[in-house]
Amino acid sequence: MSDPTPDNRPVVRIRGLKKSFGSLTVLDGVDLDVGRGDVVSIIGPSGSGKTTMLRCINALETYDAGSVEIDGVEVGFRTEGGARRRRSERELAPLRAETGMVFQLFYLFPHLTAAENVMLGLRKVRRMGKAEARDVALKWLDRVGLAAKADSLPYQLSGGQQQRVGIARAVAMGPKVLLLDEITSALDPELVGEVLEVVRKLAEDGMTMIMVTHEMAFAREASDRIIFIDQGKVAVAGTPAEVFRGQENERLRAFLSRVSHT
Amino acid sequence: MLQAMLSSLPSLWRGLLVTIEVAVIVVVTSLLIGVVFGAVMVYGPLLLRLIIRLFSDVVRGIPVLVLIFFVYYGLPVTGLNVNNFAAGVTALVLFSTAQVTEITRGSLQSIHHGQMEAGKAIGLTFPQRLVYVVFPQAMRRFLPPWINSVADAVKGTALLSLVGIVDLMLAIQQVIGRTYEPMPLYILGALIYFVINYSLSLLSRRLEARYAHFRE
Repeated sequence: MSDPTPDNRPVVRIRGLKKSFGSLTVLDGVDLDVGRGDVVSIIGPSGSGKTTMLRCINALETYDAGSVEIDGVEVGFRTEGGARRRRSERELAPLRAETGMVFQLFYLFPHLTAAENVMLGLRKVRRMGKAEARDVALKWLDRVGLAAKADSLPYQLSGGQQQRVGIARAVAMGPKVLLLDEITSALDPELVGEVLEVVRKLAEDGMTMIMVTHEMAFAREASDRIIFIDQGKVAVAGTPAEVFRGQENERLRAFLSRVSHT
Repeated sequence: MLQAMLSSLPSLWRGLLVTIEVAVIVVVTSLLIGVVFGAVMVYGPLLLRLIIRLFSDVVRGIPVLVLIFFVYYGLPVTGLNVNNFAAGVTALVLFSTAQVTEITRGSLQSIHHGQMEAGKAIGLTFPQRLVYVVFPQAMRRFLPPWINSVADAVKGTALLSLVGIVDLMLAIQQVIGRTYEPMPLYILGALIYFVINYSLSLLSRRLEARYAHFRE
């Protein structure tokens, strides 16, 4: 690539991120750096702003102040003659293609087969030909263990299989960072493992990931770093060992004891 | 009597052609405008949404026949001189457009917002999300009520006989005026309307089957 990006520059750089819904402040000055190949888990009580933060990273949500940069490009705003202007919908589309998003409720396109779900972005955004897009889609479906289901429609798949298609759809685009929003929360317990296994393989392959999760054991094992968000701020950040061992933060301690009982 | 009936066939045929012509103009025009109006009602700016909402509520709140007379007698008052054909067709187009607008709005709103988000997440532009994600799913919600509205539009053309357009309905009445045989001719007329609408409903079933292959 001609991009003279130094390797040590973070892929995702968040500074002073603020977001309110009406009078409710959801994010109150969040900072985060995610380096290439890093896996970062975001944990915290519900309503703490985890999902909102993830959604700001790929501009599914606008933010009020601060900055979110992907590879040095500000996501929500552009600077023009010293003034910050919110990016238009048209500008956002190509930026969103640089981040992958996997949703809690999958949101597969129900009228398209598994392969077509993966191919849509490749064809219409990456402008690949049909045959090439199908090759890439099949490669990724194979990687998530669903080569045999390429021509199945979403309703013919189990929840775990649907979510794996969701992952394939996101990673096939070649995103700089993959965002996972509680991707196992809507699954039957026996289907969680197959999805986490796919995430684990992606991590091993060096995919940069930020995941919001309630799977503490998985977060602990698969993440390079964990951040605990509470009341719109990063309350604790560190390696899994640090975060789970230390627990100087009383609210983190309370949170961990609550989730370990469920 | 048979002789009279047979000799009336050419004028019935001309009337039928007028009916079909009006129906096609009304269905096609209302489809084109109504789908745009419906999409604007869901995704458009507030001011446009309010204007279309007002249009739709007013038009749907008035009986079609009143609407026809309103346009027929009302337009000349505004200085627009139109013949009865243009006035009648305009009234039917207004009515059908309001129907299609509401059908489109309902179909689009019934698609889960997560579908839009999933489209955004892979970098699709707004028009691409509509064309490849939302419309194909909305289509199966749209078709059944829309086919109903098409049948209504075909039947509604009969009202234009009241402003002197010689459609199938008025052609029948003119023949009755010559032959004094109301029942056979009304039965024939009913049969023709029925054949048109029944073919439409058969066609719609095949269309709907094309969009029935997936579940949400």
